[in-house]
Amino acid sequence: MNEPEMPDFSNAVRLTGWQWIGVGIFTVALILGAAPAWERVERFDLEPDYRMPYELSLDYWLYERYSRLAAIHSDTLLVGDSVVWGQYATREQTLSHYLNEEAHEEQFANLGLNGADPLALAGLMEHYGGGVTGKNVILQCNTLWMSSPERDFQLEPRFGHNHPRLVPQFFPTINGYKEEISPRMGIAVEQRLPFRGWTTHLQQVYYDKTDIPTWTLNHPYDNPFAAVTRGLPPTDDMLRYKPISWTKQGTKKEDMPWVDPETSLQWHAFQHAVEILEGRGNRVFVLVGPFNEHMLTDESLQRYQKVKLAIETWLREKNLPYLAPPPLPSELYADASHPLSEGYEILARQVFEALPWKK
Amino acid sequence: MLFHTWVFFVFFAIVYPVYLVSRKNNLLMNLWLMLASYTFYAWWNPSYILLLFGTSAIDYVMVLFMDRSQRWKKFWLIVSLVSNFGFLGYFKYSTFITTNLNLLFAQMHLSFALPDPASYANVFIPMINEVRLLVGQPPRGFFTEVILPIGISFHTFQSMSYTIDAYRGKIKTEYNFIRFLTFVSFFPQLVAGPIERASNLLPQLQSAPRITREDLSDGLSLFLVGFFKKVALADYLAKYVDQVYETPGQFQAPALVLATVAFAWQIYFDFSGYTDMARGIARVMGFRMMLNFNNPYVATGLGDFWSRWHISLSTWFKDYLYFPLGGNRGGTLLTYRNMFITMVISGIWHGAAWTFVIWGVLHAVGRILTRELERSQFYREQVPAFVKQVLVFAFVCFTWIFFRAQSLNDAWLVTSRIFSTGWVDPQFPLLMAILVLAVCAYQYLFTQSSLTRKLLEPALVRVGLVIAMITYLVIVAQPSTKAFIYFQF
Repeated sequence: MNEPEMPDFSNAVRLTGWQWIGVGIFTVALILGAAPAWERVERFDLEPDYRMPYELSLDYWLYERYSRLAAIHSDTLLVGDSVVWGQYATREQTLSHYLNEEAHEEQFANLGLNGADPLALAGLMEHYGGGVTGKNVILQCNTLWMSSPERDFQLEPRFGHNHPRLVPQFFPTINGYKEEISPRMGIAVEQRLPFRGWTTHLQQVYYDKTDIPTWTLNHPYDNPFAAVTRGLPPTDDMLRYKPISWTKQGTKKEDMPWVDPETSLQWHAFQHAVEILEGRGNRVFVLVGPFNEHMLTDESLQRYQKVKLAIETWLREKNLPYLAPPPLPSELYADASHPLSEGYEILARQVFEALPWKK
Repeated sequence: MLFHTWVFFVFFAIVYPVYLVSRKNNLLMNLWLMLASYTFYAWWNPSYILLLFGTSAIDYVMVLFMDRSQRWKKFWLIVSLVSNFGFLGYFKYSTFITTNLNLLFAQMHLSFALPDPASYANVFIPMINEVRLLVGQPPRGFFTEVILPIGISFHTFQSMSYTIDAYRGKIKTEYNFIRFLTFVSFFPQLVAGPIERASNLLPQLQSAPRITREDLSDGLSLFLVGFFKKVALADYLAKYVDQVYETPGQFQAPALVLATVAFAWQIYFDFSGYTDMARGIARVMGFRMMLNFNNPYVATGLGDFWSRWHISLSTWFKDYLYFPLGGNRGGTLLTYRNMFITMVISGIWHGAAWTFVIWGVLHAVGRILTRELERSQFYREQVPAFVKQVLVFAFVCFTWIFFRAQSLNDAWLVTSRIFSTGWVDPQFPLLMAILVLAVCAYQYLFTQSSLTRKLLEPALVRVGLVIAMITYLVIVAQPSTKAFIYFQF
């Protein structure tokens, strides 16, 4: 007896070539159209002194959207890490706020992103900073990121990276960044495809910063599709860390080894960020620091001065307007790089004075 | 390299166009496919391509010897089988056997203990280090564990089927070494099957397979369904299953039952998803590979289940073990004995652990106990199909406990807690339940009758399903780098 003929398919999901072409068109439309369509659905209120919600520091799609809005409403955009964002300050105690006070109008927007070291910052500007075009930009150079081979990502950092999805995935090679090739490729795609950024945005805002399947494990009986009706959270109003001076915290002086700018990945990334911003027709003003030099041991301070000098030399050679202010009074720092509210106030006066485009 | 990762997409984007060009020359085509397949395999552990090459080369040479001398045919077959089972035994079972024998010796108060199998490989260390020094690598230390080469059971069985079929005179000798290497290592099915027979795949490698438009669209359809099964379903179910089976003692009956049912679907989606993707990739290249899963959870008997689950392995065991043992030709008792041996060995094939042995034994006992029942007129005609399907599914789920549990103790813990603990909210995600039920409903409609199947055939339904799957994949599901369950076998 002959064996019964084995079926070739165990389901009816078979499309013809033309049907596949139709599905392909739908998929492309979905990938290109979903994110812009979502922008029309999801309200984004740009309040005065807006800054990215702390919890959404990994939501680069939202950052991109915010940077576009900010570019429309403000003359000058402040780009940098948590020093610009205001780690130990409320949104009304930040550098951008005091700059607005100096200007007596809303001219300055806070585009700071927590944990955005220069490698991440360059990636942020390259892939999510398209809105920052033809504007005045104050770009903060936080020298802290060059204070050790670990912070410079020449060695793998003990606590991982703040923004692995922003750093270059293949070139230049970053010794301190360890990741498999496939996830790197996924990140490289995400950096270039707003759709992937949008799906991450949904996860960050509505699904407790995780993917929807994982979210359902914690909310087993909730309708996952209902979660997206909540709307965006408002701007970050909270004081995230207690604003206590480093001297009162009992923090000791540190012997930071510092990395020579010649070999520093972070410094080269910062230079790249400047190139990107200038390439988009922005007028760039660089703010070096304000680093808490009081916190360094004598030897470390000497090494730091050399680093700072090298940075200033490069900025002068590039004819870039910049300010490398003297350190703030010691008690106005919360740690190695973050000023307290009063420190921001002083810094804002110095920056405003130095700005070549101030009205 | 996993099919559902970016690396594979890049790999295939390079391999496919070159393959299309190289098809004009058969030797070039096979050479390219072989190189691609060895690269694919080397992605996990480059040194194991030596093993893949070695086992293939031995089988190739043995069949050449068989071809030359009919008198020594059996001898060459034995050499081939011994080498294949030798490699498989060392890499897959030696640690398990040694551990259990040493335990037995200890129980018997014998001072003798077998050495760690990893230490056997240390005799090669001086040679390995000389090679490493030649290529500028630092010398390596002693081996401390036997690392299981991925998919070893699959490619070994595929290669063995060739020598056995050649011995039986069922297939012609393959003289082209490159083509034979390609047959054993063909990357779509290298690490998790389907275990293709030489009689099916080798002829397809002898000339450039025709690629029709239907092949392209069917290949895409197969790949998408497999991708969805793996990324959207299997990996999602794994999240619930893993947390329960990691610490079964912390969960009550409802969660344990649901995790077991979820695992039944997880392993099905995982494995059949791999097969679908493998078949899809092969199909767009013009190759046809066998169906490996045919809706196994609609089976109405255990025999039916095994004709639908991992078909390439079931038929392999049937052809190369069950029938040679005598099959069902020697009376009832001998038939049961043959069934028992086949099922237990099938269990052991999956892994070197007592849990897999018990899993095989349970299926063997189940199959023996229900064989007569399944053949009875009462069962065939009086018992509603749905009841039979539920009973078979329940039994298969029960056996999956042993397959999934990390140890026999855990399996016993899960089983006992299912029957002894009370009701506690299992916190089983609603979305997960809806997805599984949707698949159940689909399979029911597809297999119930030709009338219900027709409901699934209109273009609107098929295109709608594909669009739903793609939308779910790109928005809801997460990019996954989770390996397939069956890779470990």
